[in-house]
Amino acid sequence: MQREAPEGPSLLATARDALLQEILPKLSGTDAFTTRMIANAMAIAAREAVQNGSWLEETRATMQHLTGATEAPDTAFAAAIRAGAFDPGSAHYAEAAALLREAARMRCAISAPRVLGKG
Amino acid sequence: MDEARRAKLTDWLHRATGAADVKLGAMALLSGGAIQQNWALDVVLAGRDEAWVLRTDNAATLAVSLPRSAEFALLKAAFAAGVTVPAPLYLCEDTGVLGPPFFIMRRVQGIAAGHRVVKSETLCGGRDAAVAALGRELARIHRITPPRVDLAFLGTPPDDACLAFVAEQRRALDRQVLPRPVLEWGLRHLERTAPAPLPPVLNHNDFRTGNLMLADNGVTAVLDWEFAAWGDPHADLGWFCAKCWRFGSAHEAGGIGARDAFYAGYAAEASRAVDAARVMWWELAAHIRWAVIAIDQGERHLSGKETSLELALTGHIVPELEWEILNMTGVPHAA
Repeated sequence: MQREAPEGPSLLATARDALLQEILPKLSGTDAFTTRMIANAMAIAAREAVQNGSWLEETRATMQHLTGATEAPDTAFAAAIRAGAFDPGSAHYAEAAALLREAARMRCAISAPRVLGKG
Repeated sequence: MDEARRAKLTDWLHRATGAADVKLGAMALLSGGAIQQNWALDVVLAGRDEAWVLRTDNAATLAVSLPRSAEFALLKAAFAAGVTVPAPLYLCEDTGVLGPPFFIMRRVQGIAAGHRVVKSETLCGGRDAAVAALGRELARIHRITPPRVDLAFLGTPPDDACLAFVAEQRRALDRQVLPRPVLEWGLRHLERTAPAPLPPVLNHNDFRTGNLMLADNGVTAVLDWEFAAWGDPHADLGWFCAKCWRFGSAHEAGGIGARDAFYAGYAAEASRAVDAARVMWWELAAHIRWAVIAIDQGERHLSGKETSLELALTGHIVPELEWEILNMTGVPHAA
């Protein structure tokens, strides 16, 4: 057996098109604003559903490697940044910077693909 | 607003204005912020038509925002300093009238909505004239300096506004549910590169497109004073110019006009040059500050305190701000 198609992301995209093309033109003011927010939320949810989440685990592993913390490596990483452990000129500056950039890219791919030149 | 509250409001208006003949006409809820409610109020006062705005607290008040009485005092101080603000008229701190405290100011005409302002070529006489006029407004705000008895609620100015900013944002992050490495990265950069302190001035602290009302003939109002504090004048310049407040427009000064024109307007009125490097420091600070506020707002939704699509989506602004913070701190785009 399989799930009935269309699945979530496709269904969301179709529903969003109907909202924007059939409903939104009939609205104005607060209703139009709310409808645009709903469309935005549907787009975020659809992008999240198709993203490969393996970067989350990889990021955690890199933070563990950089901080030596096995528990809550993200908290340890944030604290180490605050303490200046990854300042420019430090041994692991480039690795820390690359990690932050990649994580921000993955987060933007869901929340704000426009800044990545997409969406 | 129901009849009982209208009757209480009318009674209070009699007392506040001292006029025997006060008729309360139409009241319409204007598009309010997350924190306040603004009502357009038509009043006939001793036979004369008055167009006012009543400003009161909304259900969810941010802990960092000032109460209405303080905002009223700030409006009075700004009005006296020649800043273009709606004339402040009456303050009510009696919770028996409408519940939360409120004040009344004159209603002014113009457009404030960011997405409309940044598209206009004609407001305020054109883009560069608009930002020059806004620069002059900001310089007048910065003429208000401590100590001021009427603004005592603002407390003592920080010895070093830049380092105080870093400390305050770190405290805010420490209150958050999740660690925020990119914001820490930005704050550490600010800490390492903080310029020497300047004598403090009054910061509006939300002087940005969306809070500035413009008409074809000029600036008609600097609105929303609830975040005002003593600080570095460049904090306001940076907040206004920050990319996150340009509403998608390419114009660097608030999405409205050229940065040079904004600086020139400011410098002419302030009689001192703008320190461009210091403004850049505060532009990075602006992205961090907005991200921390957005996290707070998203958290209000997530915690169940206030379920709201708008708050939920505000949380999703954070990654975009992080992207810009990395750009501003020199992090390469890809390995």
